[in-house]
Amino acid sequence: MRRLVLVLVLALWAGECFAHGVGYRQSELRAIPLEFFYSTGEKMSCREARVFSPKDEKFAVQSGRTDEEGRFAFVPDCSGDWRVIVRDEEGHQCTADLTITQDFLDGRTQSQTQDSLLPQGMDLLIRALLGVSVIFNLALILRRSKHAH
Amino acid sequence: MHISEGILSGGVLLAGWAGTSAGVAVGLKHTDSAKIVRTALISSAFFLASLVNIRIGPSSTHLTLLAPMGLILGWGVFPAVLVALTLQAVLFHFGGLVVLGVNTFIMGFSALSVYLVFGRAVRESKRGAVLSFLAGSLAVILAAGLAGVSLAMTDPNFLNAAKVLIIAHIPLAIIEGAVTVFMVSWLKRSAPEFLS
Repeated sequence: MRRLVLVLVLALWAGECFAHGVGYRQSELRAIPLEFFYSTGEKMSCREARVFSPKDEKFAVQSGRTDEEGRFAFVPDCSGDWRVIVRDEEGHQCTADLTITQDFLDGRTQSQTQDSLLPQGMDLLIRALLGVSVIFNLALILRRSKHAH
Repeated sequence: MHISEGILSGGVLLAGWAGTSAGVAVGLKHTDSAKIVRTALISSAFFLASLVNIRIGPSSTHLTLLAPMGLILGWGVFPAVLVALTLQAVLFHFGGLVVLGVNTFIMGFSALSVYLVFGRAVRESKRGAVLSFLAGSLAVILAAGLAGVSLAMTDPNFLNAAKVLIIAHIPLAIIEGAVTVFMVSWLKRSAPEFLS
């Protein structure tokens, strides 16, 4: 009788062990891969990354670090505006705002991203010239107002 | 060296705006109509300098020109920095508009300090090159230190980050020192009135 009880206890314990087993399978869900970099072009390698879902904008649903190439990926599970914030220890922070559509989750389209990146090429040149123009126009206005007084 | 939005506490942001407002008010008072075009020129140079990348080993950074700005503009550096940083935030997404007060104070105060400490000596001393190098280097280190203090005042956990921030800017400080030596020596020869 004691042996029977011992066998039953061991069988139950083994069942518990199996219940804590681990496994994996390839996910069918679509991930959003992002690359983060500084305005100088340097990659934001191994920086803290947090993901905020449309359901809760205060608490991150996922946190981790970018890889050495500044890449970070997450898997959205609902449509809406998602936000990924990557920051370093020096106070730099990059925020990626992404609108995930139901079509994307269903595998029909790509995501729509609103990237906050440094403009490039001709766009950069035009913005630089616009900035210089604004500075000199402000100087002109200030000079006229000082002359008027 | 731009601190991004959403990092600093409300108190630090308010303190930054208070310091910047005072600096800009005094700066505008010191900027007579004859100096306005010069101020616009230097502000434009500062605005564009952020687009010039410098490779340092595997990393890269950009020029600030804090010391030349301070030595040329004196108190007028505050309005020049405020306008340039506003345009950088709007056009290039550097920093941000809420944190603009802190960023302007960090850079304006550093440039002004260099002017107050080294201004006369750089103009008159025979060791102008050495002093120019010190001015250029210390302006960057001071700005990095102020940025670190802003972070540490927001959260004491940022204290180590503040130390890292200062150390990381040492290469840039050396480069800025060399650039300041070149600019000051050129101005002394070609346009000494800029340093007066």
